[in-house]
Amino acid sequence: MKNIFFWIIVSIVLSVPIISFGQDDLEMLAGFDSVQRDKVISTFKSGSIINLKTIETLGKGELDFRVDHRFGDIAGKAGGAKNFFGLDNSTDIKIGFDYGLTDELNFGIYRAKGASDATQLYEGAVKYRFLDQTQDDRIPVSLAFFASATLSAAKSDPNLNSPVSFRRFKDRFVYVGQLIIARKFSSRLSILVSPSYVHRNYTAYGDQNAFFAIGFAGRIKITRRISLLADYFLPFRNGLKKTLMESTWGETYYNPLGIGLEIETGGHVFSLNFTNSKSIQEGQLIPETYSSWGKGQFRWGFGITRRFSLTGG
Amino acid sequence: MKKLYYSILLILIIIPVRSRSQSNILVSRTAQVSFFSSAPLEDIQAVSTLGASAINISTGDIIFKVRINTFQFEKKLMQEHFNENYMESEKYPTSEFKGKISDVAKLRKEGRYVNLVSGTLNIHGVTKRYETSVEFLVKGREITVKASFPIKLADHQIKIPSVAWKKIAETVKVNLSADFSGEAQ
Repeated sequence: MKNIFFWIIVSIVLSVPIISFGQDDLEMLAGFDSVQRDKVISTFKSGSIINLKTIETLGKGELDFRVDHRFGDIAGKAGGAKNFFGLDNSTDIKIGFDYGLTDELNFGIYRAKGASDATQLYEGAVKYRFLDQTQDDRIPVSLAFFASATLSAAKSDPNLNSPVSFRRFKDRFVYVGQLIIARKFSSRLSILVSPSYVHRNYTAYGDQNAFFAIGFAGRIKITRRISLLADYFLPFRNGLKKTLMESTWGETYYNPLGIGLEIETGGHVFSLNFTNSKSIQEGQLIPETYSSWGKGQFRWGFGITRRFSLTGG
Repeated sequence: MKKLYYSILLILIIIPVRSRSQSNILVSRTAQVSFFSSAPLEDIQAVSTLGASAINISTGDIIFKVRINTFQFEKKLMQEHFNENYMESEKYPTSEFKGKISDVAKLRKEGRYVNLVSGTLNIHGVTKRYETSVEFLVKGREITVKASFPIKLADHQIKIPSVAWKKIAETVKVNLSADFSGEAQ
């Protein structure tokens, strides 16, 4: 009995090398050394959603040209058929370039009309992506930092209560700092949260110079090239100052909410959107959105971006 | 007596393990895979040097794998489109060829040979049979493999939108090369 047991084992052991030369063994040997630590790519399609910045940066040597446009109120007192549902007006226009100094570090210069009293805006910005989500989820989110400084060249208003009664050059500046936390949950769904800080060197009398806000944004891919977009800013204003401002100026603050459709056609990204904020720049739309979706004070807007590669053929 | 059985058993287990170090399997983990697309408006090429391959020179079995997101393009935007729109690399992360080398006995001697290799290639989740001639350069325990063959994108359900047809060829040329050196582990 012992003998039979022994020979069974011997025959199994002897057959091992024969089995091990099969295809499966080859497959094992041809395995990849590194585990799947690959970066998650294309969390979003371009540098902006509607009112928020995305985690995406340009590659080294890439240039991005972007035009954003916001029309007038579709409905409400200022909209309707008389101005063709806002299309006769433009509340804000922004034109700018972004450039990839490295794959992680991007610079941008923009010019915007400006939708508040502060107009003729020149903005310089920097975006730095410092952490990439990995496919194996060892790093669950991507992180980036966005910072910008905007100069208003508007004529100074002699009325000292005005938000543009600039007396010194530095009064003309507005700063924005944002941390961008993004996660691509699946190839269809990406979500972004953006704690933001806005600082205006000069404001209307009694207004708050600086406060925090938090932005939320998402993208759902419907087809390979078309996505639904949505974003929202929640500013944390000082309640007392908010009430004071609202009663002084007879305006109510609203939180910017944008929804849109994004269409990608190899090199171009088109964003067709609706938002209640009149301005395009964070430095204005976070602190100064007075228009409400509920009152029909939302508008059609679009963004067109084109990416060029300046290096290589 | 029991002790003797165990020691014989132990020896028998060790033998196959040892024999693998002198086995007929050769492995390469720095195989190079490149492809070239020539269209009226644009020539596109990309290369990955992180392919993995193993061949068994006694049975002629061959495996060749590459991760799609290891392909490097000149332009980051192209690389993004390649992964995101065309290859869908998060869904289909690797491409794999499994096949057999014909007339494999030749490869035991030094020299330069051209053998037919046939098998199945999986790209973009779609498997198709391929047969192509492959150049083998045998030098001692080292084998260098080179191959070049066309792939029709439509065969693997890689869809090119009409706006991009002038930029992306319907058929791309794929080049493979790998150095199999030393012993398998």
